[in-house]
Parts: sequence; structure tokens; C-alpha cells
Amino acid sequence: MTTQTSRQRWELLLVPLVIIAFCAAAYWLTLSFDRMPPILKRGIQPADFPQLVCATIIILTLFMMWRDPVRIAEQSGSKTVGTMVLMVVFAGLTTIDLFLALAVFAAVLAFYWGERRVGFLVLVGLIVPVLVFFLFDRVFEIRFPRGLLTNLWYG
Amino acid sequence: MDGILNGLLALGDPQLLILLLMATLGGVVIGALPGLNATTGAALLLPFTLTMEPIPAIAVLTAIYCSATFAGAITAILINTPGTSASATTCLDGYPMAMRGEAGRALGMAVVSSTIGGVLSVLCLMLAAPLLARAAYHFSPPEYFALTLFGLSMLATIGDGSPVRNIIAGALGVLLALVGVDNLTTVERFTFGSHELYDGIGFVPVMIGLFGISELLVQSSALDQIRERIKLNAVKLPSREDYKKVWKTILRSSGIGVFIGILPAEGATVASMIGYNEARRWSKTPEQFGKGAIEGIAGSEAANNAATGGAMVPTLALGIPGSATAAVILAGLMVHGLRPGPAMFTEQAEFAYAIFWSMLFVNLLFLAIGLYGARLFARITLVPTQILWPCVFIFSVVGAYALEQSMFDVWVALISGVLGYLMRRYGFSVVPLAIGLILGGMLEQRLGQSMVMLDEKWWLLVTRPLTLFFFVLTALALFGPTVWRIMRPESARQSDQ
Repeated sequence: MTTQTSRQRWELLLVPLVIIAFCAAAYWLTLSFDRMPPILKRGIQPADFPQLVCATIIILTLFMMWRDPVRIAEQSGSKTVGTMVLMVVFAGLTTIDLFLALAVFAAVLAFYWGERRVGFLVLVGLIVPVLVFFLFDRVFEIRFPRGLLTNLWYG
Repeated sequence: MDGILNGLLALGDPQLLILLLMATLGGVVIGALPGLNATTGAALLLPFTLTMEPIPAIAVLTAIYCSATFAGAITAILINTPGTSASATTCLDGYPMAMRGEAGRALGMAVVSSTIGGVLSVLCLMLAAPLLARAAYHFSPPEYFALTLFGLSMLATIGDGSPVRNIIAGALGVLLALVGVDNLTTVERFTFGSHELYDGIGFVPVMIGLFGISELLVQSSALDQIRERIKLNAVKLPSREDYKKVWKTILRSSGIGVFIGILPAEGATVASMIGYNEARRWSKTPEQFGKGAIEGIAGSEAANNAATGGAMVPTLALGIPGSATAAVILAGLMVHGLRPGPAMFTEQAEFAYAIFWSMLFVNLLFLAIGLYGARLFARITLVPTQILWPCVFIFSVVGAYALEQSMFDVWVALISGVLGYLMRRYGFSVVPLAIGLILGGMLEQRLGQSMVMLDEKWWLLVTRPLTLFFFVLTALALFGPTVWRIMRPESARQSDQ
């Protein structure tokens, strides 16, 4: 219990630190933006506004740490991390074929979330992706990127 | 006048009417499914509207907005789970009524009060939006800058998330909006040499990620939730006694909804909460609230549907989104090359009025759908999460891909989804990020134009009356609640605690 509390404390401290680090990095990047000669700068330099926004976020985050610390509002379930991992697998599969990746992801996600009825798994993993594919291809004339399976249709 | 008539004539197109019927049915399905709401639905369907003409495209999105906002009441009443956050207060009295065998009466009241609220709000939209747009004709860049800043400051007060966290999220959205080639100077910013980032980060994939994929991750932690639906025999129109009891509540809540909707960033959720609280405050039997008071349903539903028309007022007249769903619709307008603002009511009057008429039509349409189809839609409330959300994922990915036919947008949607989930986990609302992304570029552009106009003397901004007025409103939105808390008598503060 003590370990968990201490981990959560770190986690909550990490959130504002990540925001500050992100904005500090963005601010640092703005220092490398080209500066325009006065005649071309159109009121403000390209770096001015991003710097103002970064500084505002950093100040607000410090204020948040002082007055209104971050809390955990949504508890992660045991399947949340697994779902994110599946998304990474999906991203990897898209390099082979987007349609294949969608079908595999949908079926595996449904199974992982507890669906065991074969009919529903076929619906989610095959029928819906096929319908969506043809809806986009025929009705909206939007082509999926070429891949292992889509090449069979596109030729 | 021509614009009003031409807009009405545009609605005479049978194809558009069929499309509106389908969108309304789709909106009711979206609203009735727990976890999906008007914003998610509009974000997911936005890519499907890309091949359409502007009038049907935006009419479809507004139809989803109106009908999904209403349909949240179906799940709120029958399974005690609000289909949309705007229906959270409908649960309080709708479910107890359903429990005592009055589900049909509760749904009937929800349908009728939603329709009245929606119709009144569209009439207000028709009157107020052109007037506001005409007033905005006198705005120059400093006024627009101050107005956009005010719009962003209103993020502090939106429903979920603390004020400071909302503003941080909004500012992060503004920062993301600055990625790409600067329109004023053509200097590359935060592109890291990637040509996909030259045009900036697209609104559509970010919105799909923030509202669709992040919700999928939230749903993954609620898989063990068991939902039970209460039996619904038929929807009953309210009786004469019911009308006598609630007509004042419906009118009051409609007014509240329109007003809250017009305020930038405030949407149906805030409107329904205030509408419900005011209904209780004015009721002769406030002790019945929470136990199945029909006025509670009327107060909540009239307000949340009235907010839809109200939210479209600043969206169309000023280009400042009135709610999260209005932000998606605004993104749709931009994707279709339309520029909301004063010119919309002169140069594109037919378009603007066609949207108003279609919203009016949709409000009447869901009255019929709600009364005669609620039994059917009640069945979809129990679609298993493990079936629904993989399908939502497929639509999210394909929708993100469709706009530019680019896998880069799919990665943007996925990353936005994970970011959105993490934000929600740590108490940040994703709505300010989306609105900041839309308004960020506009804010910088107007600041730059103001600086040119004022000869780079920024302090002259406060010497202009309207600009000063908006700055005062901004300060009130940001610091008003804190000052109010400090200024209140000690006894009132203690009673709050």
C-alpha cells in the first residue's frame, strides 16, 4: 500500500514536470526560428507568440502545482494498458496492410475485452471492416493505402 | 430576406431531406449509446461529409448535434447512464420515474421539452446570429483579438476540469496550432523538417483522437460495469396536468440554455445543470427532485437542447465555438473553406439560413422519432462495449485517414487519443485543447494584425472601448470565481464546505 501511494505521488508530480519540460523544450526551439527584418515581420516576430504561450503555460503549471495539484480523475482498468499495447501492435501491422491491421485489431480487442461469441467476433473483425472498406472505396471514392490485402482488390 | 427564403428553398431538396433524416437517426443512435456523444459522433462523421457540398455537410453535423443531445435522455432514463454528459441531470429524476413504471411518461416529457427547447433556440439563432454578425462588422483586428482571447478565457469555466487546468489545456491547444509554416511570415515552426507538418496539425485527426480514441481507452476501464435496462412499453405524450406543471420550467430552461449556449465554450452540459437547479429552485415541490419529479426532466432537457442553437450563434457569427461540438462543426466549416463571421450572413446568407432551417427541421424530426421510435432505440442502449468500441476504432482510424489520405493523420489521431486519455486521467478536460487548437492560429494572426495597425504599441489595445470591454470580460472569466469566493461572507463559505 505504501509503495503504491508513493508511486502515485511520483506519478502526480511527474505530470506538471512533463508539461513544464515540454514547454521549456518548445521555448528552446523557438530560439532557433528565423527572425524577420522589421519591414517583413507583420507586427510580431514568428517566435514571439509561441514564446508567450510557452511562458504562460509554465507559469500556469507552477500555479497549478501550488494551488490545485493534479489528481487522478480516471482510474485505469486492468485492460487499459493492454489496449494501448494493442494499438502499438496495430501501428506495426499497418506497415503490412491497413485493412488487415484494422480487422486484426478489432477482433483481438473484442476478444481481449471479453467477447467469446464467434459470430460477434466475425462481425467486428471481418464484416464491419469489409463494409467500411467498400463504403469508402465505392461511395466516398477514398482508397486505402496499398498493402498485402488491399492489393488484391486494387490489382 | 432573400437569404432566409433561399435557405428554406435549399431545404426543399429531397436528397438533403433524406440525408437529414439519416443523420437524425444516426444522431439518436449515437446519443443513445453510452460513451458516445454528440461531439464524438460529429468528429467521427466529419470525414464522411468531406465529399458533400457545404450545405448538406454542415447540416448533417448540426443534425447529429441536435439529435444526439436529445437522445442522451433515452439511456439516462432507461439505464441510469447518461448517453451524453448533458443528460447527467436527467438521470436524477428520469430513472426514479422509470423505476416506478413511468418510463414512457418520462421519455415523453424528455422528447417534448427537448423539442421545445431546440425549436426556441433555433428561432433565437435566426434572430441573434445575424444581429451579432452585423455588430461584428465594426470589429477590427484588435477587437477580434480581444474577443478570441475572451473565448479562450471562457474555457476556465467549462464543466469538467479545474479552471487552471482548463486554461493550461487550452494554451497547449494554442501551442499545437502554431505548428507549421507561419501564415504571416512563412517561417517554419516546430516542423522538424517534416513536410507533413508544414500545413500544421489537422483539426480532424486530433478531434477524432481526443473524443473517439481517448473514450475507447476510458471505456476499457469500465468493462465490468453491468447495465440493466428498464422495460419500456410506449412513450406517452405529457398530459394536460404535466404541461400545467412544467410549461414555466420549459420556457425558463430554454432561456437559460440559449444564454449559456451563446457564451463561448459553454455547452449543453453546463446549461442542463443550471436548468435543472433553477427548476428545483422555482419548484413548489423541490423535495420531489431526485425522486422522480417530472419538472426535473423538463428543466434539464429543455436547457441542454436549447444550448445547441445558442452555441451556433457565436460559432457562425464570430467564428468562436459555443461548445465542444460546435468546435467540431467549426472545424467542418474550415475544412469546407467557409469562413464564419459577419460575411457569412451577406455573402453566404443562403448557406447560413439553410443550416438554421435544417436545425429547425431536425428538432421537429426527433420529436416524431422520439415518440414513435424510442422503444426501438431503447434496444441499442445495451450494445455490448466489447462490440461497439472496436467498431468505433475502425471508424476513427478510417475517418482520420480519409481527409488527406495520409497515414500521418492516423498517427496523429492515435497519439491524440492516448494524450486525451492521459489528460482525462489526470483531471484535464480535452475540450479546451480542441478549442485552443482551433482558435490558436486565429489568435496569433489577429494579434499580429493588431500590432501592425497599432504601430506595435500594444498598450494602445486597452484604449479602444470594445477591446477594453472584452479584456474586462476575460479578466472576469479568469479571476471572477476566485474573487467571488474571497469576497463572499465567511458564513456563506462555511455553508459551502
